[in-house]
Amino acid sequence: MSLIRIILTACCLWATAVLADPPPGYPFVNFDAGLKAARASGKPIFLYFGRYGCAWCEHTNKTTFSDPALKKLYSDNYELVYVDAESGKRLTLPSGERLTEAELGARLQAFATPLFVYLTPQGDKIVQIPGFKTVQDFRDYDRYVRGGYYKQKTLLQFLDGKS
Amino acid sequence: MRAAVLALSLLAGTAQAAWQWSEPLTVNSVRGAKIYPHVESANRANVAVSGTTVGVVWEDNRSGSPQCYLAMKPATATGFQPEIQLGQAECYEPAVVALEGGRFVAAWEEAGKVHARLLPGGTALTLSTAEAGQATLAVKGDTLYAAWAEQAGRFRRIVVARLDVTTGALRAEPAQPVEAALPTDDQAWPALAVAGDGSVTVAWEDRRDRHTVPMTSHSGDNLKFSAPARLSDVPKGAGLGQSMGLGAGMGAMRPTLAAWGAQGVVAVWLDKRDFLSGYDVYAAFDPGTRRFGPNIRVQDDFGDNIAQWHAKVVGNADGRLLALWDDTRDGTPDVWLADWNGTAFGENVAVPGAAGPGAQSDPSAALDAAGGLHAIWLEQDEQAGARVRYAHATWQ
Repeated sequence: MSLIRIILTACCLWATAVLADPPPGYPFVNFDAGLKAARASGKPIFLYFGRYGCAWCEHTNKTTFSDPALKKLYSDNYELVYVDAESGKRLTLPSGERLTEAELGARLQAFATPLFVYLTPQGDKIVQIPGFKTVQDFRDYDRYVRGGYYKQKTLLQFLDGKS
Repeated sequence: MRAAVLALSLLAGTAQAAWQWSEPLTVNSVRGAKIYPHVESANRANVAVSGTTVGVVWEDNRSGSPQCYLAMKPATATGFQPEIQLGQAECYEPAVVALEGGRFVAAWEEAGKVHARLLPGGTALTLSTAEAGQATLAVKGDTLYAAWAEQAGRFRRIVVARLDVTTGALRAEPAQPVEAALPTDDQAWPALAVAGDGSVTVAWEDRRDRHTVPMTSHSGDNLKFSAPARLSDVPKGAGLGQSMGLGAGMGAMRPTLAAWGAQGVVAVWLDKRDFLSGYDVYAAFDPGTRRFGPNIRVQDDFGDNIAQWHAKVVGNADGRLLALWDDTRDGTPDVWLADWNGTAFGENVAVPGAAGPGAQSDPSAALDAAGGLHAIWLEQDEQAGARVRYAHATWQ
């Protein structure tokens, strides 16, 4: 029993080392695994662009992503991808270009973390949203993305018109 | 009176002096919409000058997988010679330094190990024993060092090795870790500088404090390193995150180093202490005491509210010092440059040929023995494919 506990603890520590600061309990994977899964499942990608030690990421994790219903909504309906803003780990864009996770931040012109990016199952960007967001915010973004409203409206237009 | 007039005219001349740039050249001979060149290495060491020969290294996927290349251009040539492939397997993040006589040494990651090669000619030498990457090089005269991030237990740590080319072939002495103890979190992206007194300074990204902090250490030529010291200032008072009891600290990444003046070393890195405006470019000076002083912001106020990327410091023994980076203050990514004026980094100047419509980014640069500046950058073109561009500048 204690051996299992040691192995589980080691696995948790290893997961922490691989993915710096995603919210606990969510099935976040790296970019390449998420893109492959999305192409297979047809689910959109929810990309969490975080930074190791980022205060607002931790605030979002504790305040927003701790909500059990939100966790189920996003875990069931998205391929969850975590990217570390300062990491040298490599990923492959849908175009086939290989670059580092940090370089993805430059491509996205990320100026703050957390940054949340919604992508189609093929990896095309739908919308990117920086900073702390509430549970209700993420519910609205989910309706915008999975409802297909992004094909006709900007996020601001959608949010202005929501009931 | 005559002396005063002379002094004023000299000052006026200094004030008006600026970099005068050549027309840019394309370095990579193979382009395509699906070919992606990358100018990326630890210490952003992608261009070097040996005498009057320029060497440029980069990585691209023309062969179907990432490979590293070196292209050279003698001063009298109108363009770069066909590039030389550095390794055999998948290759990443090549770095280059110049030796005398038109020779270069390149280092890179290939198949999970760090390799180096004397060029032109020469065969690749494997430097690392464990899984490793993010290699860089520094040289002073015939004294050559390499540093890289190498797996040690659960994490990577920074190691430094002295290289030797006196026999005409590349040889490596055993690598020494900057710290003997196993790392408690990842260390990455080392930068190296050999100061005028021959001492070695290394800077790197360090996560031991649960956020990314640029750290430095130095040694004599025996590679016995001092205890690591933090390069970025400790924030005064409680930061926003700390006041909320959240987050381990601010971000920072990709330190670069340059030997400067008689014995100095200058560091430049990307720093996110202002967390709402992306990374800023910060610098710190070691005048020869082997201790870095307070941090100095490099970019001017016009670049204050946007993110800077790919910062690089360049210096020489004559006191020339400048930093380059890219940012989008004019709407699209351009390469910017700031010269050290003796008390501060001056106004930010867009590099002609690396600014304007389209995207120009990822600069690297080197100074030659005469103080000439050699810069490279990436120019994006989705239809024709990205180009590695080069230009030379003289201070006039």
